[in-house]
Amino acid sequence: MRAEQVLRALTASLGEKLRSYELRPLEVGVRQKRTVEEIWAEVAREAIPQAVAVLKGLGPLHISIISGHDAGETIELLYHLAVGFGTEGGEVMVTLRTFLPKSDPTVPSICGILPGAETTEREKIEFLGVDFPGIPRRDHVFLPDDLPVHPWRRDEPELEKFLHRMVEWEKGHDRKGTEGS
Amino acid sequence: MTEREPRDPNDPVLPAVEEVREAELRGVEAGLGEVFEVPIGPIHPAMKEPIRLTFRVRGERIVGVEIRTGFAHRGIEFMGMRQGRNLIQVLYLSERICGICSVSHPIAFTQAVERAAGIEVPPRAQYIRVIISELERIHSHLLWAGVAAHELGFDTLLHLTWRVREKVLDILEELTGNRIDYAIPIFGGVRRDITPEQYPKVWEAIRYYRGLLEQLLDAFLRDPTVEARTRGVGVLEPKEAEELCAVGPTARASGLRKDVRQDRPYLAYPDFEVKAITPADYGLTPIGDVYDKIVVRLLEVGQSLDIIEKALMNMPEGEITSFPKIPALLAYLKKAEGEGLGWHEAPRGEVIHYVRLVSGDESLLVWKVKAPTYSNLLSWYPMFEDQEIADIPIIAACIDPCICCMDRVYVVRDGREETWTKEQLLKLSWEKTRRLRR
Repeated sequence: MRAEQVLRALTASLGEKLRSYELRPLEVGVRQKRTVEEIWAEVAREAIPQAVAVLKGLGPLHISIISGHDAGETIELLYHLAVGFGTEGGEVMVTLRTFLPKSDPTVPSICGILPGAETTEREKIEFLGVDFPGIPRRDHVFLPDDLPVHPWRRDEPELEKFLHRMVEWEKGHDRKGTEGS
Repeated sequence: MTEREPRDPNDPVLPAVEEVREAELRGVEAGLGEVFEVPIGPIHPAMKEPIRLTFRVRGERIVGVEIRTGFAHRGIEFMGMRQGRNLIQVLYLSERICGICSVSHPIAFTQAVERAAGIEVPPRAQYIRVIISELERIHSHLLWAGVAAHELGFDTLLHLTWRVREKVLDILEELTGNRIDYAIPIFGGVRRDITPEQYPKVWEAIRYYRGLLEQLLDAFLRDPTVEARTRGVGVLEPKEAEELCAVGPTARASGLRKDVRQDRPYLAYPDFEVKAITPADYGLTPIGDVYDKIVVRLLEVGQSLDIIEKALMNMPEGEITSFPKIPALLAYLKKAEGEGLGWHEAPRGEVIHYVRLVSGDESLLVWKVKAPTYSNLLSWYPMFEDQEIADIPIIAACIDPCICCMDRVYVVRDGREETWTKEQLLKLSWEKTRRLRR
């Protein structure tokens, strides 16, 4: 699979919802040189499932992870996907970038298209407070159920207080977790 | 042992929780018996690391499972992003994500930073990174094989496997100074060269494992007990592996030729023409059970030996780093701006790191880490389906889970009356390294 083929399919299907893209070739190998291609594209948030469906139509699709970042006014999500594994040098890494306003941090779930995305979507619910309408399970995977904060948000007024409370709690307890004298 | 029925191609790979509950009720009405909940963990003798698996069982048969992790979450990404550490400090933090994969995370992390900052890695350094990675794969796969033997109740095989694993740990200690946490990759190269005096020792280790591999294959794959306990157990069908985005030997055992070293090669890996190994390479039709996972991992030990051999024979001469002085490297990184992805095929599967650097700031703006168990977590759902309670330990172990690696947590426990101090352990380690070098 070539990156141009992936880009053609994305542009044909998404039209203006594909806001921008960049193709980054990587030179690898010492004695046998190869070029591995990466695509970085910005997509409107409502078009994320459509983009994932297009990629799935091109060949076996793998989601590595969704990276997330509090970008101030918005929350930035980056879907790192790989299209077309199984052949030597035949996989293209595609990163779909989308921005969610903090007033409405939602993006449709892609679990219906790619069930393997469930863990990473649930992680973003916990860590960034993003909602994924359509996700089959939304309970916590990593953090305590009653944790009142989203640790990767930079506008969490409670985060510093929470960390302070944790440190203070640990100071007062020995290594077995029982209260110290 | 119970083999589950092949999945209907039209059924979803992960049925909704409500559907599972309805199926349970229908079973009760049909007189199949009540469903009980059996919680295992987070701390349980059958588990090496903290995770809670809540099984729903009817008699001895598992009808559903709920997985809860996070009992050992360290918040390593938070520490790397938000607490003012510079990139060198974060590099050592990345190494501590996982003890067993302690070169895999730094390799992915350094590549991500090198791509973001536009740093070249000298050819010799790329070869050294490959050699250390493949040595790590050998020790990790042998470690897993031993654990698998133990979970099957075959402790003689556990001890045999772990005894032979010592050799590769000795070689890693010889080359890097440590059995784990090798601190080999650094941005723009590696920290240590492989010296001419060390070559014969690595060759000797290769010969040692070549001689033993057939014996290990025989002990694991032609043993009727192992076969009886692993054939048809914990099956992950190819469609399930693909849709649930399984990685590493877990996916390859189901017949998917999915290996990052082959699919999107990096560093010097194109030189070695790595081909993803499946049970078909051993003359079997892959079905994705525990037996197939043993086949893949043992064959990959042989593949790693081939790669190390080829790397030693074709090792390029030259520098091992593009930044011999750390202050110059730090100054360069402080000015760098950009984002990058780095990946690596760790022993358990794909590791991926995403970073974003901002000029003028010596720490990271964004850092996301993905360990292989994170991708393989969902594979447990179909693997446990319709299995027996007695098979839980081996099915849980068959994806080679690294819970703390996924949680990104470091737990130190002290349950002994006699406590060794860090200084005493360090002294012992130095003495052993000196003995090895004699």
